Amino acid sequence: MSQEARTTRTLGRFERLPTRRIVLVALSIGIATAVAYGSYRTLTLPAGQRYSGSAWRDFLVLGVAQGAVYALIALGYTLVYGILRMINFAHGEVFMAGAFGSFFFADAWERSGFLDRRPVLAVLLLVLLAMAVSVTVAVLLERIAYRPLRGAPRLVPLITAIGASLFLQNTFRGLFGAQTRGYPKPTALEGTWSILGIPVQRVQVLVLVVAAAAMVVLTQFVSRTKTGKSMRAAAEDQEIAALMGIDVDRVIVTTFVLGGMLAGIAGVLFALTFGNISYFMGFAPGITAFTAAVLGGIGSISGAAIGGLVIGVLQSIGPALLLTGIHVPSPFQLKDVVTFLILILVLLFRPGGILGTGEVEKV
Amino acid sequence: MVRAGAKAGLLGGAVLLYAAAVGMLVRLDELHLVGTQVTLGRVLLVLPPFVAAFLAVRPRVVGGRVEQPGPPAALAIGALAGGVTGAVGAGGLALVDAIGLDRVRSVFVAVSPALVETMTFGRGLGLGAAILVLGGLGLGAVGGIWRRVRHGLRRPVEVGLLTVFVLGMLQRVVPFMLDELRIERDWLYSRVTRGLTWVGAVVVLVVATAAAAYVLDRRERHGRAPLEEGRPEVRGVRRLVLAGIVVAFFAALPQLAGSIVSEIMGTVGVFLLLALGLNIVTGYAGMLHLGFSAFFLLGAYSIALLTGANLVTAFGLVAPRFSAHLDFYVALVLVVLIGAAVGALLAAPVLRLRGDYLAIVTLAFAQIAVILATSSWLQPITGGPQGLRDVTKAPLLGIGFRSAENFYYLVLVACVLAVYVSWRLAWSRTGRAWNAMREDEQVAEAMGVPTGRYKMLGFAIGGAIGAIGGAMFAVKVGTVQPGSFEIIQSITILAVVILGGLGSVPGVVLGALVLLGLPGLLTQLEEYRFLIYGASLVAIMILRPQGLIPNVRRMRELQEEERTQDAWQQIFAARQEEEAAEGATEAAS
Repeated sequence: MSQEARTTRTLGRFERLPTRRIVLVALSIGIATAVAYGSYRTLTLPAGQRYSGSAWRDFLVLGVAQGAVYALIALGYTLVYGILRMINFAHGEVFMAGAFGSFFFADAWERSGFLDRRPVLAVLLLVLLAMAVSVTVAVLLERIAYRPLRGAPRLVPLITAIGASLFLQNTFRGLFGAQTRGYPKPTALEGTWSILGIPVQRVQVLVLVVAAAAMVVLTQFVSRTKTGKSMRAAAEDQEIAALMGIDVDRVIVTTFVLGGMLAGIAGVLFALTFGNISYFMGFAPGITAFTAAVLGGIGSISGAAIGGLVIGVLQSIGPALLLTGIHVPSPFQLKDVVTFLILILVLLFRPGGILGTGEVEKV
Repeated sequence: MVRAGAKAGLLGGAVLLYAAAVGMLVRLDELHLVGTQVTLGRVLLVLPPFVAAFLAVRPRVVGGRVEQPGPPAALAIGALAGGVTGAVGAGGLALVDAIGLDRVRSVFVAVSPALVETMTFGRGLGLGAAILVLGGLGLGAVGGIWRRVRHGLRRPVEVGLLTVFVLGMLQRVVPFMLDELRIERDWLYSRVTRGLTWVGAVVVLVVATAAAAYVLDRRERHGRAPLEEGRPEVRGVRRLVLAGIVVAFFAALPQLAGSIVSEIMGTVGVFLLLALGLNIVTGYAGMLHLGFSAFFLLGAYSIALLTGANLVTAFGLVAPRFSAHLDFYVALVLVVLIGAAVGALLAAPVLRLRGDYLAIVTLAFAQIAVILATSSWLQPITGGPQGLRDVTKAPLLGIGFRSAENFYYLVLVACVLAVYVSWRLAWSRTGRAWNAMREDEQVAEAMGVPTGRYKMLGFAIGGAIGAIGGAMFAVKVGTVQPGSFEIIQSITILAVVILGGLGSVPGVVLGALVLLGLPGLLTQLEEYRFLIYGASLVAIMILRPQGLIPNVRRMRELQEEERTQDAWQQIFAARQEEEAAEGATEAAS
């Protein structure tokens, strides 16, 4: 190769230094500076205005508990995405359906006193009921809205999913009314327990325990059972899986069932934590959980768990840490902005997510 | 076949119970279509058995052969399907009765005495249930046999019934227009129920059926006129005349139809602008944009701030921290530029994202915009949840545009411009580039289309048109509040574009008229608006993804494909014949 040719090639490379890369680098430097500056200002506030150490600890615990709920919902997105490569936009409504479905029983049991007398049994039953309702909704959703579109261009099922989401919200509004309702909490769950010397809200302990158990069961199911194996096979390559004698339709239904079960559990936990439910409650947690799934690497189960926890913690700590110092009033109004910014940034910088498989496909 | 009937019946029953449980039956029972007997609620009650039966006897392909039940079988299967539908409805009633209405009502808020009354036709439970089942049987039989009726009879009657239905639905527009035109209308529309009178309905039915029969018959004999007939000059003139008639109709509308219609058409116009903007991004360039409400918000807040709107605070009205006092029309130009700039800027970093991720990111942008507009942080500028007041009336030569009639004209002008821009763009070089990009991005790139640049251009133009929509909205309402720009508006806009037909300007216009005009006209529908939007998004995507009025160019492309295929087949057949002939001569020699 001649000297000349080599020079042009080097030059060519310089010329092709993509503007997009420059923009992204500038953006990341800017964000890093803003984050560092905001946190510095918050942490060096005068003593009277500063958050105390225990406040930060409470934020952290709250974040972890919230994150566990997000993780459960995120698993639903990730499972479906792994197999169908579609964003199940209506998954937030599956979650809402679970919370709503169990509400009427919780309400009746509170009036009859069953909820306070046998809190463990009652909560267990509520979770089972919520799972049943969520699974029903998820399976119907798949059957009616998604199955006829198998193999359609990617955006078509997404639009359908948005329509289904709107439809489900308004169905619940029509069926059960538009008002926000208070979800009863057993008295046994009021107050705090001390764990390792740290007082933790009892509800949050419940959330963490149940969510962890559900995730362990799910991982075992996917990695140990035959159905789990066929799910993994279908996620790898649907056609070949079908050729190997796997009933792909059934695998897909199973996926929706699993997603629905987790969403149902999440619904009860969310309702117990925040104490009220409405037909619109699925939207924000849904998007947040989707962000968590993307953050962790969509398609990956452990990724969804980690993504959920990270998002939960960032949501509860982020606004206070970054914004209090620069005197933004009521920083927690902006907690969803944190989520959405994370979503955008992850997609820009690392579309594969933290644990992403590093898909070669252009994202 | 019996199984198909039972299955269709169960589905029909499920639909019936659904309509009852979400409260549609009762609410829509207040809307009289014909006389006092035919209400929209009753139509909803009657349709499920009929449609279930009609679908149950549809032709099926079994083992490579088309099977369709003969008339007696169709009658029986139809009756079965309808009967099952009615029985499910009756079963639901019985169940509610067994559990106790009040207890059911404590969970399902719509299950009220009025619902039971509607479903039993006010005849008590026993008789009502019998009516449901027997009526279902009868309707099902009709529905089943309807499939077997000759096309030449079926289509005209269907058109006739549809005409009656549409006229009934337009009960707040048509009578008003007839009054304005000084045409006697009491024979057609009742003043008591507001719906059609029986005499009027029958006359309309007969006239529409006869007209449809005539048209269909002619078409049968002469064949359907092929798409785009005639010489180009004639076609151009014809199109101009058509466009002129349409514009003249819309220009005369406020005079004809009064202020309620003007008010509703104002809203339709605002959303039409937004939908036209989205149509460029999603329909032309093929990028799903779920955050179009961000441009709606942007346009409204920009115009408010640029023309000197005030904040609502505890201390009364205050000027926001940033504001200008520009003339509306100067500000509008700025808003267009802002919309385009923001559209392009937001698009720049996300262009490389794949379709569905792009959609979610745009959704995130829109959500961030609403949260920021509501937040206390930006309250000194945006007014927080209370928003801004005293938006300009857009005075031009001393005329303000706040009143419904005047605003209608303002938005009409904007819409006509936007339609013109969309139409010209579709057939321009840019439009072709978008087209190529939408069909296959990689191929377009390989053919030398700079896709990145064209994507940004799409976002910029779409954003600019959307921002005009926002500015118009601010003028119409006079206040700007973040609640008006929630994500649900993005989905409304998307539904308009999808229902009408992606990339089809007439489709988008029709979509806006149907999805925003009808709920505005019929307050009874307002409650179920989003339910209907959601359902129509799903249904359209599954049944008719090209929308109500598909994009002409795409349709033509498909037709051309068929034509070339036909041509190839002809050539192929001719060659085969030749070869056969040659073979024959060879054999003979």
